Amino acid sequence: MTPPIALVVGPIFFEDAKWQALAPEVTLKEYRKGTREEFISLLKSGTFDGAEAIFRSNESTAVTGPFTEEIVSVLPSTVKYICHSGAGYDNIDVEACTKRGIQVSNTPHCNEDAVADLTIYLMIGALRQITRPNNALRAGKWRGTIVPGHDPQGKILGILGMGGIGSGVAKRAEAFGMKIQYHNRHPLPSTSTTHPSATYVSFDELLSTSDVISLNLALSHGTEHILGAPEFAQMKKGVVIVNTARGGLIDEEAMIRALDEGKVFSVGLDVFENEPHVDARLLGSEKVVISPHIGAATVETMAAMERLVIENIKSALFDGKLLTQVHEQLVKS
Amino acid sequence: MSRGAALLIGKIAHARKDWEALASILELKEFGSGTRAEFLQNCKAGKYDNVVAIFRSNASTSITGRFDKELVSALPKSLKYICHNGAGYDNIDVDDCTKRGIKITSTPGAVNHATADIAIFLMIGALRQAHKPLAGIRAGKWRGDFTLGHDPNKKILGIIGMGGIGREVALRAKAFGMSVIYHNRTRLSAEREAGAKYVSLKELISQSDVISLNLALNESTRNILGKAEFAEMKTGVVIVNTARSGLIDTEAMIEALDSEKVYSVGLDVYDAEPIVDERLIRNPNIFILPHIGTATYETQKEMEELVLENLKVAVTEGRLLSPIAEQANL
Repeated sequence: MTPPIALVVGPIFFEDAKWQALAPEVTLKEYRKGTREEFISLLKSGTFDGAEAIFRSNESTAVTGPFTEEIVSVLPSTVKYICHSGAGYDNIDVEACTKRGIQVSNTPHCNEDAVADLTIYLMIGALRQITRPNNALRAGKWRGTIVPGHDPQGKILGILGMGGIGSGVAKRAEAFGMKIQYHNRHPLPSTSTTHPSATYVSFDELLSTSDVISLNLALSHGTEHILGAPEFAQMKKGVVIVNTARGGLIDEEAMIRALDEGKVFSVGLDVFENEPHVDARLLGSEKVVISPHIGAATVETMAAMERLVIENIKSALFDGKLLTQVHEQLVKS
Repeated sequence: MSRGAALLIGKIAHARKDWEALASILELKEFGSGTRAEFLQNCKAGKYDNVVAIFRSNASTSITGRFDKELVSALPKSLKYICHNGAGYDNIDVDDCTKRGIKITSTPGAVNHATADIAIFLMIGALRQAHKPLAGIRAGKWRGDFTLGHDPNKKILGIIGMGGIGREVALRAKAFGMSVIYHNRTRLSAEREAGAKYVSLKELISQSDVISLNLALNESTRNILGKAEFAEMKTGVVIVNTARSGLIDTEAMIEALDSEKVYSVGLDVYDAEPIVDERLIRNPNIFILPHIGTATYETQKEMEELVLENLKVAVTEGRLLSPIAEQANL
C-alpha cells in the first residue's frame, strides 16, 4: 500500500521535526512560501495530486490567502482533511469544504491560557489607562499628566462567553479580587467546580451591572455587533471593556462615541473590525490599550497548536477520524 | 497649653475632608509646593515651631528633597511624628529621626493589591515583549517588529521578599499556572506560604523563569541582583521590579539584556526618578512604566486615609497604627 500524502501549506515554526517524523509512513509535500496565484496554478497543474491531508494555519493565509471557495474548489479530489493550526478558522470556507466531503479540524483549546493571560493584561492596562504613562515614559517625559486608574479589587467582571477562554479569564480575575458574573448560551452546570463564585446572569443584567466586560465568545451571524449603541447605553458609567475575541463583536463607531462621552472609561483591544487596519481614533486615544491580535502569539502556545495539527493528521490518515473537527461539521454529521 | 500643629507637605488628593477634620484637635499648616531651600528657610524662621506631626509622602520628596540628616536636623523640636504616605520610605533617614525621638509611620498593606496588579501586568508585558507590537500598531505597521512571546503557564516564579505584596503577587501568579518559590529573611508559616516553596536566594536565582522583587531597599539589600547573580540566572529569565531600583545593579542588568541572558524586564522603578536611563527608554524588548504601582483612586485614597488615621491616633493616643519595622522596639 502506498503511503498517504500530506501537504503542508505555509510555515511550521516549532514542530518541523515532528512533521518530518511522519515520514516514511506518510509522504510529505510542501508549499511553505509563495503566492496565492502560484499555489492555485500548482494545484490546477496537478502538482499536489494524491494529497489526502493538508496542514495549514492562520499564518499560511499570508502565503496563499484564505481558503475560500476559489482554492477549495481546485484542491485535488483526494483531499479528505484540512488540519488547521488556529482556534479561529474564519479564513477557511467550511461550507465549501463540507460540500466537497473535506473534513476540517482546528486547534480549539491550545490558545486558552495565552488568550486569558492577554485579556487580563489588557484589563489591568485599561483600568490603569496605562497608555498615557507608557507613552510619556517612552517620550522621555516620565509620567506626563496621568489620571489615577482603578483597582480591579472588589469590582464586578462580566464575562460574555464562558467557554474555555472565559473560564481562564474568570480564574485569573478572581485572584485579583474580582467578583465574576457571566452570560453564556447555556449556564454552566450547578455542579461545576471551576468557578464556585461565578454567577449566571441575563445579558441585560451583565450589561447594566458589570464594572468590566470581557468578550470571550465566537463571532457568528448572531453575535455581530453584540455590543452596539443600545448596549453601551445600558452599561454603567465608567465601564471598562476588553475584547480578545473578534473585532466584529463590537460596533466600533458606537464604542468610540461612548469613549468620547466618558460612558466608557477605557478599553483594551486585541482585535479590530477590519484587521490589520485599525481606526486612527483608536490608535490615537489614550483611553485605549491595544495589541495587534497577539492573543495566542507565544512560543509555547504555537508549538502546542502545531503538535495538535500533526496529531490530527495522524489520526485522520491512520484512524480515519480527526481529533478536533470543527463544530459546524460535527453538528451537521 | 497651646494647640500643636500638623504640617502637610505636598498634596492630599482624595481624603482632603479627613485632613480638614483634624482642625478640631490641631492647627493645620501646609507646604503644598515650593523648594527644599524654601522649606528649610521656613523651618529656620520658626514657622513650624509648634508642629507635632508631619504628613509627607514619596511624592513630596520632589518638593523638599530627601528627609536626610540636614533636613531632619532643621525640623522643629516639637516634632514627634512623621506620618509617611508610602510603603517604601528609603527617602527618610530613619536613624537620624530615631536619634531625635521622632517616630515614623508608613502605609503597608494599603499598597499590596495595586502593586501586585502592576507586577503581574509588567510580567505579562515582559514575557510578551509587548512594547514591540504596541509600537508597531501605533506606527500603523500592524505587528511591526513583533516576535512570539512566552507563556507564564507552568513556569517558575521566584519571589524575593514574601511580605504583603509578594504574597499578593504569588496569589495572582498561581492563577496563571505558575509555581511559586520564594526567599525571605525568615520562612513563613504554612498558611502564609500557601504552597509556595521556601528556598535560599541562590536556589531562587538559578531556578526561576521569572524573578519578582518585592522587598524593601536598605543597605543589606542594595544590589541584591548584581553581576554575580545575573551570571547564575537561567538564560531567558524575566525580571520584574516594582520595589526599588537600587535592588538591581542597573549596569549589570543592561549588560544581561544586551547579551540576551535576560529575555526581558518589567520595571516600575528607576535609579534617579523621574530621570530614566536612555538605554532603558530606547530598549524595545523591555516593558516599562513610570512608578505608578499604587496610582489608583481606591488605593491612593486608602493610603491617604491610613496616614491621617496614623496621625490622629498618634497625636490623641500616643499610639502608632503602622510603625516602621526599624522602630518597632521604640
